[in-house]
Amino acid sequence: MIQTAQDMKTYKKQLQESLGNSFLRTSLDNFGSSYKASRAKAFENLDFEDMRNGIAESKDAALPRLEELLEQFTGNAEKAGVKVHFAKDAEEANTIISDIAKKGGVKNIVKAKSMTAEETFLNAHLEKDGFKVTETDLGEWIIQLRNEGPSHMVMPAIHLSRGEVAELFTTVTGKKHEPDDINGMVKTARRELRQAFLEADMGISGANFAIAESGTIGIVTNEGNGRLTTTLPRIHVALAGIDKLVPDIKTAFRILKVLPRNATGQAITSYVTWITGAVECGASPTGTKERHIVFLDNGRLTLAQDPVLCESLRCIRCGACANVCPIYRLVGGHKHGHVYIGAIGLILTCFYHGVENDRAIIRNCLNCQACKEVCPSGIDLPHLIKKVYRRVLDADGSKPVKNMLLSTMLRNRKLFHFFLRRAYLAQLPLSGGGPFIRHLPLLLGKEHGFRSLPAIAKTPFRDQWNTLQKQVSSPKYRIAFFGGCVLDFVYPEQGKAFLSLVQEQGVQVEFPMKQTCCGLPAMMSAEEETAKEVAIQNLEAMDAGKYDYIVTLCASCGSHLKENYPKMFNGEPELESKVREFASKVIDFSSFMVNVLEISAENLGSGKKKVAYHAPCHLCRGLKVTEEPRKLLTDAGLEYAPAEDEDACCGFGGSYSVDFPEISSEILKRKLDNVEKTGAEVLVTDCPGCVMQLRGGMDRRERCIEVRHIAEVL
Amino acid sequence: MDSERLHTMKERAESVQAVVSHVRDMSEVIRYTIDLMHKQEGSVLAAPGLSDHDQVFLWKECEAEAIQLLTSPLRNHLSEIHTSLTYADCGIAETGTLVLDSSSEDIRIATMLAETHIAVLSASQIYADAVSLEEELTILQKSPPRYMAFITGPSRTADIERVLTIGVHGPQELHILIMEETEK
Repeated sequence: MIQTAQDMKTYKKQLQESLGNSFLRTSLDNFGSSYKASRAKAFENLDFEDMRNGIAESKDAALPRLEELLEQFTGNAEKAGVKVHFAKDAEEANTIISDIAKKGGVKNIVKAKSMTAEETFLNAHLEKDGFKVTETDLGEWIIQLRNEGPSHMVMPAIHLSRGEVAELFTTVTGKKHEPDDINGMVKTARRELRQAFLEADMGISGANFAIAESGTIGIVTNEGNGRLTTTLPRIHVALAGIDKLVPDIKTAFRILKVLPRNATGQAITSYVTWITGAVECGASPTGTKERHIVFLDNGRLTLAQDPVLCESLRCIRCGACANVCPIYRLVGGHKHGHVYIGAIGLILTCFYHGVENDRAIIRNCLNCQACKEVCPSGIDLPHLIKKVYRRVLDADGSKPVKNMLLSTMLRNRKLFHFFLRRAYLAQLPLSGGGPFIRHLPLLLGKEHGFRSLPAIAKTPFRDQWNTLQKQVSSPKYRIAFFGGCVLDFVYPEQGKAFLSLVQEQGVQVEFPMKQTCCGLPAMMSAEEETAKEVAIQNLEAMDAGKYDYIVTLCASCGSHLKENYPKMFNGEPELESKVREFASKVIDFSSFMVNVLEISAENLGSGKKKVAYHAPCHLCRGLKVTEEPRKLLTDAGLEYAPAEDEDACCGFGGSYSVDFPEISSEILKRKLDNVEKTGAEVLVTDCPGCVMQLRGGMDRRERCIEVRHIAEVL
Repeated sequence: MDSERLHTMKERAESVQAVVSHVRDMSEVIRYTIDLMHKQEGSVLAAPGLSDHDQVFLWKECEAEAIQLLTSPLRNHLSEIHTSLTYADCGIAETGTLVLDSSSEDIRIATMLAETHIAVLSASQIYADAVSLEEELTILQKSPPRYMAFITGPSRTADIERVLTIGVHGPQELHILIMEETEK
């Protein structure tokens, strides 16, 4: 049975168990790498961006008119001899299906894979009513025999080893199965399940598409069980979420072109079946198939009305958001979802399976944007996850202490900065004046010891500004420098390095003193009101009209200012245009150097050192900047040694690393292992947050690989 | 016939483990089928949907080669079919896909339950991509009942440790015989 943790303490315990499962980790790791390669190959010479925009557009057009499409579908399907049902919730769907079976005198039921049936826990309901239900998708059959839920939407048994399956098959069939004879196990399933097909009176499937203009359903499968399920038994019932309705075959084809490519790297699956109406069926007393289609609402129609969260209904169930998620890769689907898993699972659980099942898992997101990058329907998954997190907090009516502290601090810049300055003094006994805190503060447990925490700088950047600022005569550009908290209070030297690079290039730099935290930490904690309040403070502190650019050295701040600010004030006319102007001027350090200043190699120091690079999530995926930092490194004469998974998250994620240190440390470990393999002397990145995580981790390893912000090595 | 399209069809189908050959006429199709069945030690053939003329021809050959040719309805022979021989209505080169109107139950049973499926595809019926079939499919679906099958390679699974394994529920082999002439 599915046992999703309903509180953090239980969840932490479960996570520890998964982290200790070395098969799972190796398996998901191999999967992650091979998926990346096969997906890239599947989209070769295709315009993924264009394809995903097409899907997003069609889905967005269909969502507000689902009821109308349902009516059209029903009319066409019923004309063709199919009975269409509408179920408002899971219980109703299960009852409808059970009643069909009872009325039809059914004993044995075969099922093809359906996530919607998993959602309603249909099997349990049918078994309780006395029917024998056999899952026929190999993976589903395996987990049915083990009484488990799926750990992946496309590969439900990916968490199991061949050894575990062999043992299971040996028990079930009474015949010895060897772990390395996978072909033999598949043939066992073929034999056993063929018998189930021949004995079944009813077949239940899902549907990937429900085409309104003709009343057709489309089913996408590889094994062929979907075809047998819809052909051999005399009764067929398809259960589909109402969000599967599309107006026409054109839309279905648009989705079909992307779905298998994004799910498994296949151009198309072995079988795609399009069923319209009740075809002939020799097993039926009437000579034609008894066919039913059950559309499930279960909250979808309400969700479709939500201006922001409706985006989640664009999902086409490819499972890619799990495939690329660094957390899923570590803990597996059973610990990163409820019935639906991965990023979309964290979102949908709240609506389909209740706040209690989402309470713990919804917090387990790094905001690394890897899921968003591969989503074939353009769902802003990390953004929606934070929105849902807030819903969970509101529903529970209690917030973590961290949220209260954060909100109180961030809203009041002077208090916040006062606190940071005091922190320098408070930490002295722990840092001894060095760059790291050598003893963990008492409130942090030993699981936080995977990285050294940096010491707060003695003099923050803002307090040095008076001595650093310079008047440039007839400047080429006038820019505002957005420091960000980490640079300002922990690594002011990065800001100084930046100034010395650009001031000599004829850039007039200003540091508006009233600037404050960008607000991302508040957003990450689902404190959107605070995030907005802080955003307004920044908008007021920096009059965008006065500057050519607003430059930041922090990828996270940059992507928050540029992408989330306009999103937060969307539909607020008095601020919308001001925010847009502001966001349009925001630029990251590397892009500013390469694209605006067009800095040439002779203006950069010649480093000679061997360097590795870490691509911050919010730079390479958030701001989509990939070429510029690498160009800067090579132009500066540095020997750039590419590392494996350079664009994988470092595991920081702001307060994520404090909430989930056990996961953060594992992700960091992989990152540092990959960097070490390059033999680099310096690890370069362009986000002070990443510097903090990476440098802290390197310090614990007692290795001599330096970690630097890119501005410091040029 | 666009030779590039033909080439793509063959290449894509082979990349998903279909066996693709060229044939000139129906007698070559029947020869191919019988040889393959002998090789695989299969003795029961289902060949629904063939034209009357081809049926008669096939009947004679099967008799001579000691192969049992099943008669309709195939539902009476669910566990017997070794090989099935059918036409494909058209092909989609982009993905190496066969399109079979499977509204007839015999076609469905033959193509789903056989160990080996042999499909005859007329070269002139190969489309570049699925999109070029949109209109035709829409028309067909608007005259129900209809069961249209896209078939791309043999049945496959990767559900145990993601190891690609062929032949879990559907045919374990898919042979595509491309016929250059349009005769059926």
